[in-house]
Amino acid sequence: MSDTRLDTTATGVPGTSRVTKANLAARIAPLIGMPLGIVLLLVVGALLSDRFFTLGNLVNVLINISILGVIVVGMALVFITRGLADLSVPATVAVGAILTLGLQPAIGTVPAAIVAILAALAAGCVNGLLIGYARINPVITTLAVSTIVLGIAQWSVGGVIVYGTDKAAQTFLNGRVLGIPIIVIVFLVVAVAGHLMLSRTTLGRWIYAAGSNPDATRASAVPLARTRASAFVLTAGLSGLAGVLLGVTLQTARPGIGIGYEFDAITAVVVGGISLLGGSGSIPRALGGLLFVALLNNILVLQGVPTPVQGIAKGLLIVGAVSLDIYLRRKGGRS
Amino acid sequence: MNTASQPPSGWTIALLGLVRYRVIVILVATLAIAATFVPGFFDARTLSLGLDRAATMGLIAIGLTVVLIAGQLDLSGGAILALSSIAAVGLQGELGQVPAALVGVGVGLVAGAFNALLVVVLRINSLVATLASMLLFRAVCHLITDSRPVSGIDPFFGIPLTQPLVWTLSARVTIFLVLILLLHVWLTRSVVGRNLFAVGSNATSASASGIRSRWYLFGAFVFSGLMAGVAGVTFGVAANTGSPVFGDTIVLTAIAAVVIGGTRLEGGIGSALGTLGGLLTLASLTTAMEYQSVPAYVQDIVTGVILLLLILLDRLTHSKRGVNVSLTALVHRLSRKSAGTQPKEIERTIA
Repeated sequence: MSDTRLDTTATGVPGTSRVTKANLAARIAPLIGMPLGIVLLLVVGALLSDRFFTLGNLVNVLINISILGVIVVGMALVFITRGLADLSVPATVAVGAILTLGLQPAIGTVPAAIVAILAALAAGCVNGLLIGYARINPVITTLAVSTIVLGIAQWSVGGVIVYGTDKAAQTFLNGRVLGIPIIVIVFLVVAVAGHLMLSRTTLGRWIYAAGSNPDATRASAVPLARTRASAFVLTAGLSGLAGVLLGVTLQTARPGIGIGYEFDAITAVVVGGISLLGGSGSIPRALGGLLFVALLNNILVLQGVPTPVQGIAKGLLIVGAVSLDIYLRRKGGRS
Repeated sequence: MNTASQPPSGWTIALLGLVRYRVIVILVATLAIAATFVPGFFDARTLSLGLDRAATMGLIAIGLTVVLIAGQLDLSGGAILALSSIAAVGLQGELGQVPAALVGVGVGLVAGAFNALLVVVLRINSLVATLASMLLFRAVCHLITDSRPVSGIDPFFGIPLTQPLVWTLSARVTIFLVLILLLHVWLTRSVVGRNLFAVGSNATSASASGIRSRWYLFGAFVFSGLMAGVAGVTFGVAANTGSPVFGDTIVLTAIAAVVIGGTRLEGGIGSALGTLGGLLTLASLTTAMEYQSVPAYVQDIVTGVILLLLILLDRLTHSKRGVNVSLTALVHRLSRKSAGTQPKEIERTIA
C-alpha cells in the first residue's frame, strides 16, 4: 500500500542482495512482456487473415494511431509525474481543430495552426498552475478547465461546425515522403523527441523524481510544482497539435471532435504497463500499449467482429494489464 | 481586544465562514439571480420541472458522494444507468413491468459489485478500474440492443413517476429527496457513516483501528452501482425507453455537483446536504440560463468557473482548518466584536 518504491537490488545491508532468480524473472517480465505480446498479436493476426500481414494494412494501422499517439506521449508524462490523468484532452483537441479551421481563411493554415497550439498551451498553463502550484486534485481541475476551455472555443466560432477551406493542407498531410505518410512522420518526430526529453534531459529526470517520491524530490531542491505543471502544459500542447492534425485531415471540426481521446490515451498508457502511482514507465512502453490495442482492434475488425465487442475487449484488456502489472510488482518486491 | 491573543482576524474569520458555508452562499446567490431573471421562478410548475430534470443526476450523485467520501472515484455511473434502463424497459414484455424494474435495479447492484471487485480484490486504482468497466458496460449495452433504443410495452406505466406526488414534487424527485436525507442521517448519525469518513481520510489507519476498510470500499462501490441502477430504472421507465447512449455525459456533471457541494476528491470530507446544495445550484443555474436562452457552451463556462473558484477557495483556506467557524462561534464572535474594528488586519488575510 505504501507509495515508496524501493530499489530491490540493494537493501542497504552489506553483503545481501535481494536479486533472486524468481525476483529477476519478475523484474524482466514487464520489460519483454509488451514486445512479446505485440509479436504474438502479429502472428495470430497473420494466421487468422491473409489481409492482415500486408504492408497496406499495417500502414493503415500506423496512420490510425498517429493522431492518438501524439496525445499518448503527453498522457504518459502526466502518468509518470503522478498527475493521475488529464481529462481536458477532448477540450484541447477541439481547440486545436476549431481554431485552425476557423482562423484558416483569415491568416492561412500554418499561422492558424500555431495560434491553435498556443491556445491549447494556454489552457495547459491554467491546468499546470492549478495542479502544480495550487496543488488541486488533477481530475477535478482538468474537468473544470475542460468545460471552460471547450465553452470558450465554441463561443469563439458561434457554436457551430467549422469547415476547412484549404484543401492543399489536407493533401499535404495525407501525402507521403519516401512511402511514409506525413502524419506518421509527425507522430514519430513527437515520439522520439518525447522519449529523448524523458530519458536524456534534466526535466525528464525531474519528471521521474516527482512521480516516484514527491517529498524526497522537494527536499532535493527539484522544482516539484514546475515539473508537475510542465507535464500538463506539454500534454495540452500535444493535444492541440493532435487537434490541428485531426482538423486538417478531416476538414471539419465540431466541438465534440475530441471526445473519447482522453479515455483512449489512458487505455494505451495503462495497457503499456505505466502505473497511476507514477515514477516509472517510458514513452516506448506507452506507445507499445497503443500499438497493442490498435493491432487487437485491427484483427477484430478484419474478423468481422461487431463493434461493441471491441469495447468489451478494450475493457478486459485494461483490467488484465493492470492486474498483471500489480501482481508482478508485488512479486518483484516493489509493492 | 488584543490581536496577539486572537490570531485569526475578523476578515479571516469572515472568509473562513464564507468558505465553510459556501454551498449555502452560492445556492442563495444563484436562487436570487434566477428569481430576478426568470419570471415566476418560484412558481410550483417551474420548480417542479427543474427539479424533475435534476433527479436522475441527483441519484447518481448520491452514490458518488459515498464513493468520493471513501476516497475513490466512479466513472461508470452513466454506463450502469444505460444498462439498467435497457434491462428495466426491454424485459417488460417477458417479466412484467414491476419485476423488470426490479431486475434493472439488480443490474445496477451487480455492476457495482463488479466495480468493487476490480478495486478491492484486484486492487486496481478506481479511476482506471471504473474507466474499464465503463467501456465494458457501454459495450454490453450496444451488444444486447444492437445499438438501437428499446421501447416498453405501455407508455402510460411510467407517467406517474413524473407527475406531482407530494405538493409539487414528482415521484422521482421525492425518491431522490428521501434517499439523500436518509444518506445525510446515515452519514452523520451512524457508526458506519462515521467509519466511512475514517476510511476515506486514511484507509490504513482506519484498518489499524479495527475498521474493515476493504469492506467499506466494497460497500461504497456496490451502493454507487445500486443508485445508478435506480437512476436508470426511473429514467428509463419514465421515458418508456432504454437506450445504450443514455447518460453518456452525466457522470462528469454529477461529480461537479458533488464537488461544488463541498465533498473532496481526496476523500474523508463531504456531506449529503452539500451534494443536495450543489445539485440545486446547478439545476437553478441551468434553468435560469435556459430561460434567458444563453447558449449551452456559455452555461458550460459558468459551471466550470464556479467549480474552479470553489475548489480554489477550499484549497486556499485548507491550512487554516483549525479555526472554529461553526455558526454558533461566528454569532458569538460577531456580537462580541461589533464594537471594535481592526483595519490593519486586511493585509494578513490576503497574504
